[in-house]
Amino acid sequence: MENKLLDVTNLTVEFGGLTALSGLDFQLREGELLGLIGPNGSGKTTCFNAITGIYKPSKGSVVLLTKDITGLNSQKIYKSGITRTFQRLRLAVGLSVFDNLVIGDTVDLNTSVLFNLLKRKALRKQVDYQLNKVKNILKIFNPDLVNAIYEPISKLTMIDRRRVEVCRALISRPRVLLLDEPSAGMTSEETREFMDDLLEIKKKTPSLGIILIEHEMSVIQRVTDRCVVLNYGKKIAEGTYKAISCSRDVRVAYLGED
Amino acid sequence: MMHSNLKISTILTAVLTMGAMAVFFISFLLAETEISLLITVALGIGFFIFAKNQSYFENMIIFSNQRPVFFHGLIIIIISLILSICKHEHFALFMIASVTLYATACFGLTLQLGYAGLTNFAGAAFLGIGGYTVAILANNNVPIILSVLFGGITASLIGSLLILPILRTRGHYAALVTIAFSLLFKTFLELNEFLGGPQGIKIPPMNLFGWSFSEPVLGGSFYISYVILSLIVMGVVLGITRLVEKSWLGLHFDSVRIDEVASSCFGINIAFWKITAFTIGNFFIGISGGIYANMLGHIAPTNFTFGDSLILISIVILGGIGNPIGVLPAAFLILVLPEKLQFIQEYRLLLFSILVILVLIYRPDGLLNRPLRKFYKEWGPPFIGK
Amino acid sequence: MILDFLDQYLVNGLVLGVIYAMVAVGFTLFFGVLNIIKFSHGDVLMAGGFAALLAHQTLTSLGSELTIFNLIVTIIFAVLSMGLLGALAARFLVLPLKAAPPLNTLLITLMLGLAIREAVRLFYPNGSNPKPFPRLLPDTSTTLQTFQIRTDSLIIIFGGLGAILFLHLLIKNTRLGLAIRAIAQDSETARLMGINFRKIVLGTFALGSGLAALAGVANGLYYNEVNFSMGLFLGVVGFSSAVVGGLGSILGAIIGGFLFALLQTLGAIWFTVPAYKDVFAFIIIIVIMACRPTGLLSESSSDRV
Ligand SMILES: Nc1ncnc2c1ncn2[C@@H]1O[C@H](COP(=O)(O)OP(=O)(O)O)[C@@H](O)[C@H]1O
Ligand SMILES: [Mg+2]
Repeated sequence: MENKLLDVTNLTVEFGGLTALSGLDFQLREGELLGLIGPNGSGKTTCFNAITGIYKPSKGSVVLLTKDITGLNSQKIYKSGITRTFQRLRLAVGLSVFDNLVIGDTVDLNTSVLFNLLKRKALRKQVDYQLNKVKNILKIFNPDLVNAIYEPISKLTMIDRRRVEVCRALISRPRVLLLDEPSAGMTSEETREFMDDLLEIKKKTPSLGIILIEHEMSVIQRVTDRCVVLNYGKKIAEGTYKAISCSRDVRVAYLGED
Repeated sequence: MMHSNLKISTILTAVLTMGAMAVFFISFLLAETEISLLITVALGIGFFIFAKNQSYFENMIIFSNQRPVFFHGLIIIIISLILSICKHEHFALFMIASVTLYATACFGLTLQLGYAGLTNFAGAAFLGIGGYTVAILANNNVPIILSVLFGGITASLIGSLLILPILRTRGHYAALVTIAFSLLFKTFLELNEFLGGPQGIKIPPMNLFGWSFSEPVLGGSFYISYVILSLIVMGVVLGITRLVEKSWLGLHFDSVRIDEVASSCFGINIAFWKITAFTIGNFFIGISGGIYANMLGHIAPTNFTFGDSLILISIVILGGIGNPIGVLPAAFLILVLPEKLQFIQEYRLLLFSILVILVLIYRPDGLLNRPLRKFYKEWGPPFIGK
Repeated sequence: MILDFLDQYLVNGLVLGVIYAMVAVGFTLFFGVLNIIKFSHGDVLMAGGFAALLAHQTLTSLGSELTIFNLIVTIIFAVLSMGLLGALAARFLVLPLKAAPPLNTLLITLMLGLAIREAVRLFYPNGSNPKPFPRLLPDTSTTLQTFQIRTDSLIIIFGGLGAILFLHLLIKNTRLGLAIRAIAQDSETARLMGINFRKIVLGTFALGSGLAALAGVANGLYYNEVNFSMGLFLGVVGFSSAVVGGLGSILGAIIGGFLFALLQTLGAIWFTVPAYKDVFAFIIIIVIMACRPTGLLSESSSDRV
C-alpha cells in the first residue's frame, strides 16, 4: 500500500508573466485517493494539465513509478497509464456513448487500415469485446446507462455525462486517475452517489491512485485519504483532512480569516 | 431473428421509392424544356415530402440493411435500365459520368473534412494532379489503369508533403496551405510548357485490356464506357469510405475532428490521423481526376480552379458533412441543375455560395444528416419483441 | 544600378508590406475576439476597392473636381461601407454559428467571400474585367538624397502605417479597445464583468473590415487598377502574415506582412518568372510556420483546457 506511484517535484507552470503553478511537490501512493483543493484559480487544473502533457512545465519533474514522464506529450502519458476527466466536459457530444467510451481505450484497438477494412469478422469480435467492457464499467456507475450505449451523448443528463467521462478515463485500467471537479453540476445527493461509486472502484482496483479536485469539504472529508491544498499556485498545506483543516494558512485561504 | 420482421409492405414501399427516384433522375436528365424540368422538379419534391411522411426512406434503409444482396442487385438493374434508356444521349451520359466522378472525389473530401475535420480547399487542384499525371503517362503509352492509379498516388504524395508541417502546427494550417496551393497550382500549370501551358494538354482515349473507350458501346454513345467505369470506381470508393466509417478508423477520425485535446489525452496521434485522412482522401480525388481527364480528352488549367474546389466543398456541405450518401443527390443537383437551367449558369457560383450559407445556418446537417456509427449490420439496441 | 534597385524593389516592397499588414491586422483582431479565421477578409478588401471606385465615379459625375476632396470622401465611403458589411457578416453569419463546430464558421466565411466575389463580378458594371482606378495621389516624385521615390508610394506607406498605429492606439487607450482586449484575454470572464460581447464583436469586425477597405483603396491607388479576383490572393497573404507573426498580436501581423513582402521582393530578384516569387514566399512562410507553430510573436499561450 505504501508504494510510491506518482512523484511530482518542483512542478512549475508559467503563462507569459503569470506563474500559475510554482514549485509544487507531492506524492501519490498506490491505492490512495488524494484530494487536490484550493480556491478558484489556484492552479489545480493547471497541475493536471501539466501532468498530462497539455501544458509543458517550465521547471520540475513528474515521475510515474520509475519512469520520468516530464514534458512527454499527452499521448505518451496516456500510454504510460495516466488518464483524466476535464473540468468542462470534453465528450464527443454527437457520438454515441459506446464511441465515447471506446475512445478511452485506444491502446486496445487495432487501428491498422487493412485490418479495419478487410478483417471485418475479427473487427466485429473486437467491437463485441469492447461492448462487453463498456457495459461492465457503466454498470458500476449507473445500470441504466447500459441501455443508453447506442444513444448519442446529447441525450444524456448532465450527471450521466459526467459518469460517462469518468468511465472513459477508467476503461483502459490506468494506474493514475485524475478527476477534475467531477461533481460540478451535481446535486449533493448525486454527488454522494457518485462518490460511493468512486469508492467502490477504489476497492475493486487496489493499486489505482486517484487525485480528486473537489470543492465540497464534506466530500473531501469523507472520501480522501490525504489532501494537498493550493493557493496562488503554491502548496500551502498537505496531510489528512483533519490535519489540513486545522492549518491556519488553509483557513485564511478559504475563509479569509486572519 | 430480425430478418423475419421485414414486412412485405416495407419491401414494396422501398422498391417503389427507388423506382420513383430513378424516374425522377431520368426525367430530370432528359428534360428538354425548362417547363418540363420545372414540372419534374415539382413532382419530385411532392413525392419526396410524401415519401418522407410515410417513412419510405426509412423503409429503404431497413431494406438495404436486411436484404443487401437484393437491394444492390436492384440498384444495378435500375442503373442498367437508365443507361439503356439514355444510351444515345451523349450529354446525359457525360453528365452522369461527371456526377459520378465528382461524387467519388467528394468521398475523398468526406474522409478529410467530414471525418477528420481537415479542411481541403484544393480539391480541384488534386483532381488536376490526377488528371495531369494521367495525361503525361497516357501520352507515354503507360497502360491506363496504371496511370489512373499513379494519378491517385501522385495526388496523395503531393498532399502529404503539403500537410507535413501539420505535425507541429494546429488549427487552420490546412485551410491556409490548401488555399495557397490551389491558387499557385493554376499559375504553375499556366507557366509550365511541359504541361501545355494555358492551352492545356491532350489525352488519348482510354483502352482498358482491349476495351477501347472511344468506340460506341452496344450501339450507343462511347460515353457509356466511361459511365460504367466511373460507376464501378465510385462503388468501390463509396464502399471503402463506409467501411472506414464503420470501424475504429472512423472512430479515431471523429475523435480527432471533435476534440484534439481530449483525443491526445487518450492516446490518439492527431498528426498521424490527419495525414492518413489527407492521404487516402487525396488518393480518391486523384483517381477521379485521372478518369475525368481521360473522359474530357483535353484538360487545361481552367478545369481546376479554386472555384471548382469550392464547388466540391459545396457538394459535401449540401449533402450533409460526413454523410457520403448525401453527396450523391448534392453532386447531381450542383452539377446538373446549372446545365439544365442555362439562365443560372452564369450565376451558379453566387447561387451555390448563398445556398451553402443558408444550409450552414439553418440546416447544418445538409440534405441527409449523418447517422450514428453502426459497426455492423445488427448493431444497435437489442430487439425488444412482444 | 543600386539606385534602380532601391527604387524598384525597396519602395515596392514597403508598399506591399503595408497593404499586407493592414489585411493581417484584421485577421489578428477577429482571431483575438472570436478565435475564428474570417476567410472573406480578402474579398472585403476587394469590395472596398470597388466601393471606392463607385464613390469616385459618383463624385465626378456630380461634377466634383477637387482631387483631395474626392480622395477623402472616397476613402470614407469605402471604409464605412465595408465596416458595415463586416458588422453585418458578424451579426448574421458568424455569431449565429458560435455554438457550431469551428469548421462551420470557417466554411461560412469562405462562402461569403465567394458570394462577394461573384456579386462584384456579376453586378458591378462590366465587373468581370479589371477596372482602372483613378489616380488620386500626386504623381510627382520626391528626390531623397540620391534616389527618387514616387510621392504616391510614400503617402501609401505612411498612410497605411498611420492607420495601423491609429487602430493600435484605439485598442490601447479607449474603452472599446479595453473591451476588445478583455474579450481576447478571456471572453467568459469579460462577459461576466458586464462587457456587451455582441456589441464588441460587431465593433471589432467593423474595425477590421474598415481597415481592409483602406487596404483595398491603397492597393487600387498603387496599381491604378482593381479586379474582382484580387481579394482572394491578398486574403491568403494577409492570413499567412498574421499566422506567421503570431495570431492575436498586432505587432506580429505587421512584422508578418512586411516579411511576406520582403520574401516576395527577394523572390522577384532571384527568379525570372514573376509568379515564382509567390511560390517562393509561401514556401518560406510555411517552413517558418512549421518551425515556429505559434508564430514569431505570439501573445496567446496554449489553449485553455
Ligand atoms: N492557458 C492559459 N493561459 C493563460 N493563463 C492560464 C491558462 N490556464 C490557466 N491559466 C491561469 O492560471 C491560473 C490557474 O488556473 P487553474 O489551474 O485553471 O485554476 P483552478 O483549476 O485551480 O481553478 C489562473 O489564474 C488562470 O487564469
Ligand atoms: Mg479548475
